[in-house]
Amino acid sequence: MATAQSERIFVLPGDQIDPSLIPSHPKKALRLGPGLRHIPPNELVPTVAGQLVTDPRKNSIWVEYNGGRYVPTVGDLVIGTVHHSATDYFYVTLSSYTSNAILPQLAFEMATKKTRPNLNPGALVYARVCLANRHMDPELECVSPSTGKADGLGPLNGGMLFEISLGMARRLLMRKSVEEGKVVVLEELGAAGLAFETAVGRNGKIWVNSEKTKTVLLVGRAVKETDEKSLTVDQQKKLVRKLVREMS
Amino acid sequence: MTVNSEPEALLSHLQNADGSATFSFSGYTVVGAVNGPIEVQRRDELPEEAAVDVIVRPAAGVGGTRERHLESLIQSTLRQIILVDNFPRTLIQIILQVTTTPENEYVNAKVAQATSNLPILPALLQTAVLSLLSAALPLTATLTSTSLAVVADGQSKKVVLNPSPREIETSQSFHVFSFTSHDELILAESEGSFTVKEWDEAFSVAQRQCCPPTNTDDGDTLMDDGSLPGANLKQFIRSTLEGKIASDLHWK
Repeated sequence: MATAQSERIFVLPGDQIDPSLIPSHPKKALRLGPGLRHIPPNELVPTVAGQLVTDPRKNSIWVEYNGGRYVPTVGDLVIGTVHHSATDYFYVTLSSYTSNAILPQLAFEMATKKTRPNLNPGALVYARVCLANRHMDPELECVSPSTGKADGLGPLNGGMLFEISLGMARRLLMRKSVEEGKVVVLEELGAAGLAFETAVGRNGKIWVNSEKTKTVLLVGRAVKETDEKSLTVDQQKKLVRKLVREMS
Repeated sequence: MTVNSEPEALLSHLQNADGSATFSFSGYTVVGAVNGPIEVQRRDELPEEAAVDVIVRPAAGVGGTRERHLESLIQSTLRQIILVDNFPRTLIQIILQVTTTPENEYVNAKVAQATSNLPILPALLQTAVLSLLSAALPLTATLTSTSLAVVADGQSKKVVLNPSPREIETSQSFHVFSFTSHDELILAESEGSFTVKEWDEAFSVAQRQCCPPTNTDDGDTLMDDGSLPGANLKQFIRSTLEGKIASDLHWK
């Protein structure tokens, strides 16, 4: 992404990757991102249709695409819905019709055996995936294991949940979402004087909360429209101006 | 004859499915939806790989043995290209709804009759592959498929590519071939009476159709392939997906 790629490189499953495109770094090992399969000893094959992206500085290569179902990966921030709770765990739904992820009741900030959070079915939690492999159900945590701090994770009270595409969630979660992800809708809404808070889940969900219900709906609709109509930066600014004018 | 010879496709147009595609070619239109990996019923669960479930729904009425036959053919073909070991104990569900079939103007379509199962197979397979690509499920390769009929032409016999329903009815044998994008044969279904030589001929025509040479430096072979009727499906899949990805990643 950091490189200025003059042209887009499209790949289909099973395509051959030109060896000149694979970054080579004298010291760092090559890192493979999503959408690629390594067939030992030295074959690299894309498994999804998308755009091949490389980062020579990190010596990494991956395929960028949008769509499909969320597959949990370690380190992802997700918004889950509590399905039910058992003695030690909450069972949390990350996407519909998939098996539940488990969230230990003690994986919250300041939780002890005596003071554990009480989450009813339907409650929302903002969590990090700490264990994901294909043979087991994913495991979540709402606390950083090294510091014991929540870092913004935990139960989400109030507000409303909106569904967005996986690609949009990825753009919103980028460290530089304005420059790299080209989403300015939240910044513009904030600059327009609206007070609200959001949490974005990598599983295609965005949670919006505000004191005013009107603001919650406006923010959620603005993000969804940006996603569905794939608005450019200028169009997003225009949309925000229009929505804010309509509200006042 | 209002049969479209150019393939058309629409990708990811269903809101609630993980992946979807509508594909029309030579009079057939099929809507495909893919969901997966999702939770599987206990009795269908496989401990080491994903279960692939294909459901074919006909344009009119409810499915019967004909649809079950097609489902089994598509299922065994697709599970060879889907990376099923990436998602053990899950289900990948593929639903194919036929919406249009070409009319045979020589036959009263209202009279129920036993007809061949195979002619719709290429359209179903193509829709399934486009839907899987739209759902971003990991695949080893894509595939292209084509149908051929061997028609008696006086004394000699000729191979007709993408035959019309009338041509299929009057043909002596009918064949469906599928090739992966690595130009490997993955499905070969035939019906009617034919000799091995005829099959070989049909196979080579199908191979030329599904696996066009990618290098365009040889002018002579290009001229030969240009005379083949029908579209280059391999190129079609690529250009369709390129368009979809370019619009998905417009922000990049």
